Amino acid sequence: MSDIDLNLQIWRQKKSDSPGAFETYALDKISTEMSFLEMLDVLNEKLTKQGLDPVAFDHDCREGICGMCGTVVNGVAHGPEKEVTLCQLHMRNFKDGDTLVIEPFRSRAFPIRKDLLIDRSAFDRIIQSGGYVSVNTGGTPDGNAIPIPAQTAELAMDAAACIGCGACVASCPNGAAMLFTSAKVSQLCLLPQGQTERKQRALDMVATMDKEGFGNCTNERECEAVCPKSISIRNIARLNREYLMAALSEG
Amino acid sequence: MELNAHIPAGPLSEKWDNHKFNSKLVNPANRRKFKIIIVGTGLAGASASATLAEQGYQVQTFCIQDSPRRAHSIAAQGGINAAKCYQTDGDSVHRLFYDTIKGGDFRSREANVYRLAQVSNSIIDQCVAQGVPFAREYGGTMANRSFGGAQVSRTFYARGQTGQQLLLGAYSALSRQIHAGRVTMYNRREMMEIVLVDGKARGIITRNIITGEIEKYSADMVLLATGGYGNAYFLSTNAMASNVTAAWRAHKKGAGFANPSFVQIHPTCIPVHGDYQSKLTLMSESLRNDGRVWVPKDVNDKRHPRDIPDAARDYYLENKYPSFGNLVPRDVASRNAKEQCDLGKGVGSTKLAVYLDFADAIKRDGQETILKKYGNLFQMYEKITDSSPLQEPMMIYPAVHYTMGGLWVDYNLMTTIPGLFALGECNFSDHGANRLGASALMQGLADGYFVISTSVANYLGTNSLKAVSTDDVAFKEARQEVENRISKLLKNSSDGPTGKVTVDEIHKEVGKLLWDNCGMARNKQGLEAALAKLPALKDKFWNSVYIPGDMKEINQSLERAGRVADFLEFAEIMVRDALAREESCGCHLREESQTEENEAKRDDANFSHVSVWEHKGEGVEPVMHKEQLVFENVTPSQRSYK
Amino acid sequence: MWPIKFISSSIGKKIIMAVSGLLLILFLCTHALGNAAIFVSSHAFQTYANALHSLPVVVLLFGLGLLVILLFHIGFGINLFLQNRAAGGNRYAINTRVVKNSFASKTMPYTGLLILLFIIIHVFGFNNGPADMEVSQLVKEYLSNFFYSLFYIFSFCALALHLSHGFWSMLQTFGINHPRYNNGIAKLTLIVPAFFLVFFGAIALYFMSGLGASY
Repeated sequence: MSDIDLNLQIWRQKKSDSPGAFETYALDKISTEMSFLEMLDVLNEKLTKQGLDPVAFDHDCREGICGMCGTVVNGVAHGPEKEVTLCQLHMRNFKDGDTLVIEPFRSRAFPIRKDLLIDRSAFDRIIQSGGYVSVNTGGTPDGNAIPIPAQTAELAMDAAACIGCGACVASCPNGAAMLFTSAKVSQLCLLPQGQTERKQRALDMVATMDKEGFGNCTNERECEAVCPKSISIRNIARLNREYLMAALSEG
Repeated sequence: MELNAHIPAGPLSEKWDNHKFNSKLVNPANRRKFKIIIVGTGLAGASASATLAEQGYQVQTFCIQDSPRRAHSIAAQGGINAAKCYQTDGDSVHRLFYDTIKGGDFRSREANVYRLAQVSNSIIDQCVAQGVPFAREYGGTMANRSFGGAQVSRTFYARGQTGQQLLLGAYSALSRQIHAGRVTMYNRREMMEIVLVDGKARGIITRNIITGEIEKYSADMVLLATGGYGNAYFLSTNAMASNVTAAWRAHKKGAGFANPSFVQIHPTCIPVHGDYQSKLTLMSESLRNDGRVWVPKDVNDKRHPRDIPDAARDYYLENKYPSFGNLVPRDVASRNAKEQCDLGKGVGSTKLAVYLDFADAIKRDGQETILKKYGNLFQMYEKITDSSPLQEPMMIYPAVHYTMGGLWVDYNLMTTIPGLFALGECNFSDHGANRLGASALMQGLADGYFVISTSVANYLGTNSLKAVSTDDVAFKEARQEVENRISKLLKNSSDGPTGKVTVDEIHKEVGKLLWDNCGMARNKQGLEAALAKLPALKDKFWNSVYIPGDMKEINQSLERAGRVADFLEFAEIMVRDALAREESCGCHLREESQTEENEAKRDDANFSHVSVWEHKGEGVEPVMHKEQLVFENVTPSQRSYK
Repeated sequence: MWPIKFISSSIGKKIIMAVSGLLLILFLCTHALGNAAIFVSSHAFQTYANALHSLPVVVLLFGLGLLVILLFHIGFGINLFLQNRAAGGNRYAINTRVVKNSFASKTMPYTGLLILLFIIIHVFGFNNGPADMEVSQLVKEYLSNFFYSLFYIFSFCALALHLSHGFWSMLQTFGINHPRYNNGIAKLTLIVPAFFLVFFGAIALYFMSGLGASY
């Protein structure tokens, strides 16, 4: 355990339509045991006590599962450590005297609301257009009536682990949302429950994804590299296949 | 305040069926005429929104996060209970009912708990149909794991992310209804006030977190699914935005608050490591299936845990409770950890931790098997602490996790305000004085998917509600109240921060006060002292809190301030409740009431009741009412996990 | 109309890129096969060229087909490039690529342009040589020029780079990604571009270095 001094450059923007700029802040004696968000808390307490506006940033569960937090740190979504969200990133990943450039997740489809806080409702609209099995409450068969091989359940779970944080979009050179969309399409196309609506789902979700203003996938693999839940681009391959088959028969 | 639980007549196992038959219905064609407001999109809120919209009601759903998918149910790790008895190990609806009642130390209502056990099986079927990727056996059938407080294996799970998968299932069902236009979703809204018209809940006032706008919404009934109040302690495993505001606003408008002192302290959390710490991280209770809890026998044993031989270790849970061992209920495990640390046997730099050791399990089952079960938990632990549980034992310590107390509801889940219902952790109904692991998910989904629709139809079918719009004077008044309160919060801030306190400083202060005096062990003296300190703390907050920015913009300090203001008021009934309950039960250990072996000693003659608090106005002492608990099917006994 | 919908969707465009890319790779294979005759003798090569030109309709149709495929590849490539620049672009103060070896994928539009430039020069050159010179001689004439050859080799490097992302990317777009085959695919993604670079590069080097002086 030790303390480090940091130089922060943080994107500050008052509102969606106002211009933004970087501001520089010095932070001393940050414990390396702190999480990144706790470091921002310390900064905000300091700014508040100086009568300045604290930095707005999204966060909630602070244990890496809600998908609410996330900024780009020195050009990398969720910062330098692999397979963690920003809230799980600890300051032991940084050295004394480091400069951290902190920017919001940027995408045409994710408008900035304030500082580091963005609007990811485009993701919700992608799910709304087909990311479900259309069953009403009640009248469903016994859980064991739908046998699912353990390997299939595991593959579906690999895809279902997505937390919808948007790091894939933020890190994609094209701002594409393929990893997010493919994770949900994969989960449901692997499971027997998802077969009935399989084709329409792929068509509708991709159509919404395109409409929301995300870019096109060019297989750069950055999304997979920064994904805190290690969602594989194998899911993207699966989505491509699903979409092709669907487009040829039902599109 | 009249407390009629409306428990249906008939034998326990027929009550729910009788109730469904006797409840009024709303014709499918008429349902679209009714508007329902649902606040919160956790398991209870999302499942209720989806179900009611599917049935044809017009639903308006509100959540505080940027997406309904982020509600804190998502963080539940271990699993969800159901009485499927897929393992043929003697489970049944009655056993799940009995385990839950007993786990809650006989402080919950028989009829509610029985219904919970009854619908538990349908929840699993529902979630499977939605495509929730539950763990499977190699033959394709569903896998189960064991959990604390039960001797059967009835917990269904999806790796260590069961809450996430169940929530995403409910979220997908909700998304489908949003797409169909039957649910109008309002993200990033904080509920600020409940609006009553003619004594009935008819709407809410919200603050739009993005624009700062104070908005009015009207409906025929209001459902609160706003979770628990664990963040009153500042440090808890709850998400940062979890708060008591919605429930507290309802309370101040006339909803009784039941058992506010019943707070579950979860035994397996990562210990506190610094005063900058913002939250505590839970490690799933399922770890206790394979992990062994121990401390060094000798207080002065400074050796590395690996160098301490078995003979010098005290596996205190296994020694003390041979039949349940490491799988005793949460309250028992937490209390014993505290006891060991109080004896000076705690480990780590703060001496406030005990070991949870996987070495034997790894030796027995192999590293691969253990990693398959707990891999993501181990990874999470290592990310936070920089130490691998494969190499050395985990260090754990109890932390505030779940609140069994909540808004008082009857069998229909209706509060003492007509038309206002509370679902999930927000109500008090099913867990008594202690919740068993993997039962929170079960209750949230039971309330939302399978219970509330009967209540909704019955309420709408038995009440003739006049048309109400947001132009009604009650809405204007409620909005004015909200705006006044926000102005009052901001009143100290015009002349800068000098000499002021920040929101977090006060929050930490009240949190510590509660943790020290109304935490794992409570006594009269400490509680009275805390009660005496609260008014001054409240004054300090209102007179010197500094909040930067203004209300018509994104202002996260202001959001927190509003919540802390309510925690400060709420803390008072929490302490009062703990003080009034002069017995120990479940999570609530009054040091004055212990058995000779330092176990919680209940006093059924005097305290077999739900304590329900009524707000009597600002500055007026709240009044406690009692709902007597009647046990016709189980005999309350001293819980023993030996 | 589903084809319109398909080609205007993001994945549809990618599939067009992959299919046209695959066809272009297949063309390169046949081209390489034909050109292999160079290494036999000028006579063999000339015989092959003559045989090919004795079927003018086939050559015309083949050429037109190839042109259409190429135009699709280029057209959709440019469309994707522009769309992606608008959606992505340089939007951070610090742009860090986490993926190692991302040079090929980053430079796809530029290597593509270089290849296009090469194709124009290559096709123009061989269609507009002196009327009395046979194709087999024309090859020697052009490639014996050091700078002309150097340009060829440089272009083949661009092609190899283009393919070192394109080949894998094409399979990914077709949905071919499986842990069992991914190692093989990774090897193939090195072998295929390397083959074209070595093969076509060898032709240029053959003349450039003077080895083909007696050709």
